Amino acid sequence: MSRTGVFVCHCGTNIAATVDVDKVAEAAKDFPGVVFVEQNKYMCSEPGQQAVKQAIEEHGLDRIVIASCSPRMHELTFRKMLTDTSVNPYMLEIANIREQCSWVHKDKGEGTDKAIDLARMAAAKVDRNTPLYTSEIPLTKRALVIGAGIAGIQAALDIADAGYPVTLVEKEPSIGGRMIMLDKTFPTMDCSACICSPKMNEAGAHPNIELRTVSEVEEVTGYIGNFTVTIRQKAKYIDYDKCTGCGLCEVKCPSKVTSEFDRGLTQRRAVYKPFPQAVPSKPVIDATNCRKFTEDRCGVCQKICTVDAIDFEEQDKLVKQEFGAVVVATGYDLIDWGKLYGEYGGGAYPDVIDALTFERLVNASGPTEGHIVRPSDGKEPKSCVMIKCVGSRDPHKGKAYCSRACCMYGAKHAHQFLEKIEGSECYVFYMDVRTPGKGYDEFYMKTLEDGATYIRGRVAKIYPENGHYVCVGEDTLSGKIVKVNADLVVLDTAMVPQESAGEIGRLFGVSRDQDGWLNEAHPKLRPVETNTAGVYLAGTAQGPKDIPDSVAQASAAASKVIGLFNHKALESNPMISFVNEVNCRGCGDCVGVCPYGAITLETVERRENSVKVMRDIANINSGLCQGCGACTSACYSSALDLKGFTNEQILQEVDALCL
Amino acid sequence: MANTQETLRERARILLEDGTLDYLIGWEAGRFEGQTTPLIIRTVADVDRLIYNEYCVHLLAKYPLADKTTKKIGVVVRGCDARGINLALKDGQIERDRLYLLGIPCQGMKDAQTGEELKKCRECTHRNPVVYDELLGDLLEQSAVADRFAEVNRIESLSADERYDYWADVFSRCIRCKACRDVCPTCTCKECFTDQAAKGWQGKETSLAENQNYGITRMFHSGERCLECGECERVCPKGLPLMQLNRKVIKDVHELFGEYIAGIDDCTPSPLDHYQLDDVEEFM
Amino acid sequence: MSLEQETLNAVQENQGGAVVQEAPEAWKPKILAFTCNWCTYAGADLAGLNRMKYPADVRLLRLPCSGRVNPQFVLHAFQKGCDGVLVCGCHPGDCHYSTGNYFTRRRMLLYRRYLEYFGIEPERFQIRWISGSEAGKFRDTVVDTCEAITKLGPNHKFREEGR
Repeated sequence: MSRTGVFVCHCGTNIAATVDVDKVAEAAKDFPGVVFVEQNKYMCSEPGQQAVKQAIEEHGLDRIVIASCSPRMHELTFRKMLTDTSVNPYMLEIANIREQCSWVHKDKGEGTDKAIDLARMAAAKVDRNTPLYTSEIPLTKRALVIGAGIAGIQAALDIADAGYPVTLVEKEPSIGGRMIMLDKTFPTMDCSACICSPKMNEAGAHPNIELRTVSEVEEVTGYIGNFTVTIRQKAKYIDYDKCTGCGLCEVKCPSKVTSEFDRGLTQRRAVYKPFPQAVPSKPVIDATNCRKFTEDRCGVCQKICTVDAIDFEEQDKLVKQEFGAVVVATGYDLIDWGKLYGEYGGGAYPDVIDALTFERLVNASGPTEGHIVRPSDGKEPKSCVMIKCVGSRDPHKGKAYCSRACCMYGAKHAHQFLEKIEGSECYVFYMDVRTPGKGYDEFYMKTLEDGATYIRGRVAKIYPENGHYVCVGEDTLSGKIVKVNADLVVLDTAMVPQESAGEIGRLFGVSRDQDGWLNEAHPKLRPVETNTAGVYLAGTAQGPKDIPDSVAQASAAASKVIGLFNHKALESNPMISFVNEVNCRGCGDCVGVCPYGAITLETVERRENSVKVMRDIANINSGLCQGCGACTSACYSSALDLKGFTNEQILQEVDALCL
Repeated sequence: MANTQETLRERARILLEDGTLDYLIGWEAGRFEGQTTPLIIRTVADVDRLIYNEYCVHLLAKYPLADKTTKKIGVVVRGCDARGINLALKDGQIERDRLYLLGIPCQGMKDAQTGEELKKCRECTHRNPVVYDELLGDLLEQSAVADRFAEVNRIESLSADERYDYWADVFSRCIRCKACRDVCPTCTCKECFTDQAAKGWQGKETSLAENQNYGITRMFHSGERCLECGECERVCPKGLPLMQLNRKVIKDVHELFGEYIAGIDDCTPSPLDHYQLDDVEEFM
Repeated sequence: MSLEQETLNAVQENQGGAVVQEAPEAWKPKILAFTCNWCTYAGADLAGLNRMKYPADVRLLRLPCSGRVNPQFVLHAFQKGCDGVLVCGCHPGDCHYSTGNYFTRRRMLLYRRYLEYFGIEPERFQIRWISGSEAGKFRDTVVDTCEAITKLGPNHKFREEGR
């Protein structure tokens, strides 16, 4: 038989003004299982809590009902209070007689009746509570960072600097991501390579960072504190332990391939480093273009390599590692504008380029050493048109969202164009200029002073004529159709998620929004967490961002990881689903409804009617289960139930209301 | 049918003899004329007890499920049996490689007492087995079926109180013998909610409210997975129109989530096991 | 014919058909709301913080997620004597557990139509999405539901005798 204690709080006059607390206390004496009732002016205060502790001792109470404010307010307070008593902290129910009773009703009679009902429901529920215990989940203090752009690098460095080992996985041959492709960064115009490559080198040389380039995450099991991740280390065909990075192979390789890093403006070899400052500063062999693999001849690199580092026999390796936390920083790509914007030539005009290609053109370490030329004929363009929001803010053809960085880098490009080419003209077609950020609007104003002509409107058509391009659009401020001749057209195209983000999301159980960006747990209050505990987001994997925001988010994600790793072990949530094995028929209906992949079917041996049989039975992973209870209502035989909110407890509450 | 019976016996003999099967589930003649009963044969000596005629009314899909050993089981399947097998496969109640399915296209079964085609067979939409290992006889052309939802539509057109009175009358006659559950191929729970009195799902009182609780909940549990085999209605000792409950769910599922034919295969997820972001919403 | 109605008719007959203004002794409906902890329960708390006023006939039963609401709870509530049942959760897309309410939406949509088929009035069993910030919507929902159910009178459908 239960020995329930009911404590009615006055909350000063907050409750007592509209609820007759004496009457509630009097009624509570008759609730089944109740052996002690007391009132207090402030239950949550120190004397209030003392009174509960004393009553537990004096009256041998084994469960508690507190009729007070919302459990969202003080449930944790009272649980904590119970930890130093003989009563289990989960043998507690709270009747919300303030937020949902005294504050919202005027009639004292009605309020009192409702308060009695709520207290009776809580007493009925607590009658079926069982003690619950948290357990310690061991914690592997090693982090995985996926994607080694500036966000991934920053997160890895922060975690590594805090003293925890990090594995940094990158699918390309070098770390650095998009930022290392850029020329200068707004609004300060410092050279991107100058601020990015030191970070790359630091990450490459950090004793706590293990770099895995040309690698992809293939499989994930486990949960917060205990992820087991299989990483596919793709064959580089070069033994990095032997390679000195001398670059001789690169010079001798006869196969030429379009350079991805230079956005098709130059060519690279089949054995290559994507760019001179690459980290690791060693080449890889691109097997799809290497003659050794395609035609089984050549092999010149192997012949000339002085340290015998080339190994054509190398295979992909699968590496299994344990991690406690994961930072996803898969980054962005640019929208495939050619397919969507036929009116801009659909990619057929060589001098209509995207902004990232412009970055390579204007980059001092780029293929033209920073001289802006037309890709078609190598001539210096005298006029340039820049078109903003190509694919952004265009729900019909592209994406509905704003890509955030374009207004600023567009201003930067205009400034650079005008600065580098004397007597040139630059026209910028825009929808709105959005420059929120420190020093951002000042930068835009300076570009206007430089002489850039901003035209508010979209370009409707581009066509070639006499060696230049004619851009036709409407100036929506004057209402006139304008035609601008340009030698070069730069499209500021929308950011879209990396294709691999979909697979990463699926592997870690992180949902994506309608545009494919990975979803944070809460847009405002949990911006770097995901709904999978232990998995955090950094940079543009979560949505379009500029560099400062990406870095800030990366550091935020890193601080979450460090905070997690500062614990000795993890405390489990005891209010999770459990399986009554005898009732489970193994249909697996629960598996699909679980948002966390916490339920699996396991085949177990059982004795039934004196015969040994194999049965499938649902198994709950207590590290993954978050206690939503969706599985319980999918289970018709109630083999699944939720601790703290069992079917029996809920039915008891309903019955108590209907008495 | 006599031919099918002969082929069935012949195949059964071979399959049992060569050890393909440990046992086979079919039908045998009952005590009275026209009556049949399900039969499990384990030896060749019993093969001639097998029959197949127009009175084989029992659905066989549920019989192999109790056996959780590794024995290989032969089952004679018509459209309804085959869909029941698919459902059991989807629910992980048995493994496909433990089953050997002898498919028979079904002409429809008759009531032994009246000699008329059974109601459940008149409303059948899948006379041919949808899964089998070998086929005895030729596939049939599926004949058109009268509107299965006519009764549901009629009840829906009544007022709320009229509907309640209609169903209260039906449930007041229920004796909670639970035969409808025992025979139902969707009911494979190890312990039915109705037997979990301690948990509070269902009281033991003999009352209209408890009958309603049982009838409404059981049929909602079968719900969208109902094969429309009509066995519940056939076995109901009080002759209650139970298919009118199932068909309501089936009709609504079709309307709300698109057509779903339970047991048509062993993999299509049931409508309540998944969702679409833009599902219909009648509330807000 | 319901008991109240019979009594009322008898009273009316005794008074020669005169309309009785006073309803039988101030009957108040008993309405149970299954609410998810993260949205609707929070929304109800917010209504309290804002000191909004609404009828005292609804009692909230707190669950982690609307996905926890087994349809059998609803029928059980009617059986034991509730006059109305509300199931409330986060808006689709806002579920604290990402997907719980999508399953709720399908299940409850089907179940609501199902119970109506057996004769329950649609007003008595309603599903609402109320977020943690929609205190006003919570109040309005309670006001509307109480009004509708008061108009309908006590529920006798599916109800145990003597309750």
